[in-house]
Amino acid sequence: MTAIFSIRDVSMRFGGLLALNRFSMEVEPGSIHALIGPNGAGKSTAFNCVSRFCTPFEGDILFDGKSLLNEPPHRVVAMGIARTFQNIEQLYRMTVLENVLVGLTSRVRRYFPFAPGVARARAEREAVRDAEEVLDQTGLLAYRDTLAGELDFGRQKLLDVSRALACKPRLLLLDEPAAGLRNREISYIDSILVDLARRRGITIVLVEHVMQLVMSVADTVTVLSFGEKIAEGAPAKIRADPKVIEAYLGSEAVNA
Amino acid sequence: MLMTLILQGTASGIVAGCVYALVALSLVIVFKSTDVVNFAGGELVMVGGYVGLFFLVYFNLPYPIVLVLAPVVMFLIGASFDRITLNQVSGRTYAKHVDLVALVVATIGLSYLLRGIVRVVPYTEEVRRLPPLFTGPPLFIGDVVLQMQDFAIMGVTMVIMIALWLFFRFTMLGKALRAISQNARAAALIGIPVRTMRMAVWGIASAIAGVAGLLLAPKLLMTPDMGAVVMLAFAAAIIGGFTSLPGCIVGGIVLGVVQNMVGIFISPQAITVTPFFVIMLVLLIRPQGLFGEATMLKKV
Amino acid sequence: MYGAPARKQLALLSLLVLAGFVLPYVLPGYFLYIANLLMMYVILAIGFDILLGWTGQFAFAHIAFYGIGIYGTALLQLRFGVPFVIGMPAAAALAALIGFLIALPATRLRTVYLALATFAFAECAEWVFRTWESVTKGSDGLRISAPDIFGYVVGTDGRALPVIAIILALVLAGTLYLRHSKLGRSLCAIRDSEHVAAASGIDVKRIKVIAFTISAFYAGIAGGTYTLFQSFVHPDGLGVWTLVLVLTMIVVGGSGTLPGVILGVVLLGILPEALRAAPRGLLVWQEFAYGLILILAIMFMPRGIWGLIRGGARARKSPAAPRQRAAGALPREAP
Repeated sequence: MTAIFSIRDVSMRFGGLLALNRFSMEVEPGSIHALIGPNGAGKSTAFNCVSRFCTPFEGDILFDGKSLLNEPPHRVVAMGIARTFQNIEQLYRMTVLENVLVGLTSRVRRYFPFAPGVARARAEREAVRDAEEVLDQTGLLAYRDTLAGELDFGRQKLLDVSRALACKPRLLLLDEPAAGLRNREISYIDSILVDLARRRGITIVLVEHVMQLVMSVADTVTVLSFGEKIAEGAPAKIRADPKVIEAYLGSEAVNA
Repeated sequence: MLMTLILQGTASGIVAGCVYALVALSLVIVFKSTDVVNFAGGELVMVGGYVGLFFLVYFNLPYPIVLVLAPVVMFLIGASFDRITLNQVSGRTYAKHVDLVALVVATIGLSYLLRGIVRVVPYTEEVRRLPPLFTGPPLFIGDVVLQMQDFAIMGVTMVIMIALWLFFRFTMLGKALRAISQNARAAALIGIPVRTMRMAVWGIASAIAGVAGLLLAPKLLMTPDMGAVVMLAFAAAIIGGFTSLPGCIVGGIVLGVVQNMVGIFISPQAITVTPFFVIMLVLLIRPQGLFGEATMLKKV
Repeated sequence: MYGAPARKQLALLSLLVLAGFVLPYVLPGYFLYIANLLMMYVILAIGFDILLGWTGQFAFAHIAFYGIGIYGTALLQLRFGVPFVIGMPAAAALAALIGFLIALPATRLRTVYLALATFAFAECAEWVFRTWESVTKGSDGLRISAPDIFGYVVGTDGRALPVIAIILALVLAGTLYLRHSKLGRSLCAIRDSEHVAAASGIDVKRIKVIAFTISAFYAGIAGGTYTLFQSFVHPDGLGVWTLVLVLTMIVVGGSGTLPGVILGVVLLGILPEALRAAPRGLLVWQEFAYGLILILAIMFMPRGIWGLIRGGARARKSPAAPRQRAAGALPREAP
């Protein structure tokens, strides 16, 4: 199968630091692909390149055959790619429902905002309905009117995922979805991810440190260290790879 | 005739520029360490001048004592403001970027508070003049006139500039402050007492502003509205690059000279609007000024 | 922030208009003046808050657009006989246009530089108002003749009140609709996180420019409203002090919320008048008072008085799930 999403020889520099060095990765449609590596390996940088928050000085990123590098950040969602954020960049002043409504923005038709109207009423009604549907799927519907800033940590992460799902993406980029979650919550994320990929055909790429989740859901694992890919393959194979173990030397995460 | 005007304009421009540079230094060291734009910078200058006036005229202290005492008082004022107000404001971590706006709003509040205090104190009702540091006949270089006070201004500015540069480069305190400006959380984690450092920065910045006030006041009529000089300092800092200390000096001198040239070649009325025009122009074309760092990306 | 404004809120607006027609028969002239002043400040403050509180853009050019609204409306009538109903929208549109032009380069700037650049612009504008004497009569001030609305001459505070009330009601209605719209959500999203906004498909730069333009339009309308009940305009009132006054109103009342801003305007708009009326002219304490209020408010009531009220109400209404510290988040610095 041809890859739906590929990063080709991407190199990214921040001042004197080479964050990514000719990094390449191909992702099969409908698969769950994990990107792991020690801290500072360049994983979030890769995501930021895809989201177009930064631009690599060489290489290309393709989705569905089209290059992303010419698009401004807000066009990425229109191409079918959504992402979550590592440090939960939350819309903390808005409610859970409103957060998801923002996630939907690209799918709501434009209307004149300062006055009532038929077009407006219809657009808002459909938006709220779609948002509630997403919240129902991720189990947050009961919290729809709670302020995002008041949610507990696990639910804030779920909200981040809900927001990303709202725009019906074909590729979902999850930046450390399991960080800080308890086991029960990790299992929940696990089942959601599997459901999204297997049943709904959404391609998922996740950056993750929590090996429990990676080993459980990933079809393919790519390992980054100091901006370079050092290994790639099925989870079991990666786990035993000496280069990978060396990169993580001393970290108890490998022994999870 | 025109040549004389230009030379005189350049000379006084350099002198004025040194004052702008001093105030700009005060603004920049606060910005570098805390990312806060201190809108009260001008009022700190003004209060410095009045504090000096108070000690000199009311208490009749000798000038050298005043030159030490006034900056100390200003140091205390600045450090207290940080300890009492800014600490309280930035203590909330609920919302990350809102705090920066809140901090700047606090400095706006401080500027009006200071101005208000000075205005209601009965002592300041009349417009006052502060006696100059060096008295003596003015010096004539060709057709150009320079007061003794002008040399004091240039001298003190140079001394402070060099002292600050050495301080930030070579002392532990200076390096700690640079660490804080780059990554406050990391600095805290490795044991740098961030809160105390910030207080120190505000204290130093206020002391410098106070010195600028002492130097500037003899040349102007003292009023509580003297703080308007801050816009010139902002312009100087922006020209030089808001994160560069030497840039302040260059920016200040450039601005001082340009202002006088505008006065000569365009119109005296245009002088007041020059700094604002310069600010907009520089931020439009080259926001980092002459020596500033290019804006950093926020880590996601 | 979705759907449409509640019927209750819209009903309040019709009460406002009603009050506008009734109050002139009930209150003495001076109170009518205060009412007009406060209503105008509400329009000005909401416009500023849309940029600062909703979208998080720390921009100080607002006062310049207010001036354009005042001088524009007044001069169109004075020089060209343009009636108020055309003059005010025209002046507001001009303010919006200039706001748009300023926004294009300004939105490239980081928070602090944005503040400085727009501040510089506002000072430039004040200088223009003061120096362009042939047009604005500069420091002498401009006499404004009473506007005429289809024969209804707005000569006194009593006659201006219903008109201003109607304008304010329309502005509030529009604002309520904006708040509950897709654009309103996009504006607020930008303040909380530009990254989330961009990743959700919001063109951050474009929305920022729109926010600027809307804000300038509101300021222009406020300026037009000024001409309805003031007979004189002077550049002194168009400087930073007025903007700081509005900023204090917003901060104390509750930035980012409509009731908060209105509350702030009412509380702090009365203060200068109270100081003016007090014996021994306490007006000189004005700056001190506002400086102190601003500092205390930002220290202890960052969400304003309205934020305090709402915080209490919310805590009583729904027990939020316990907030856990994010594992992996860095600890707060030790005291």
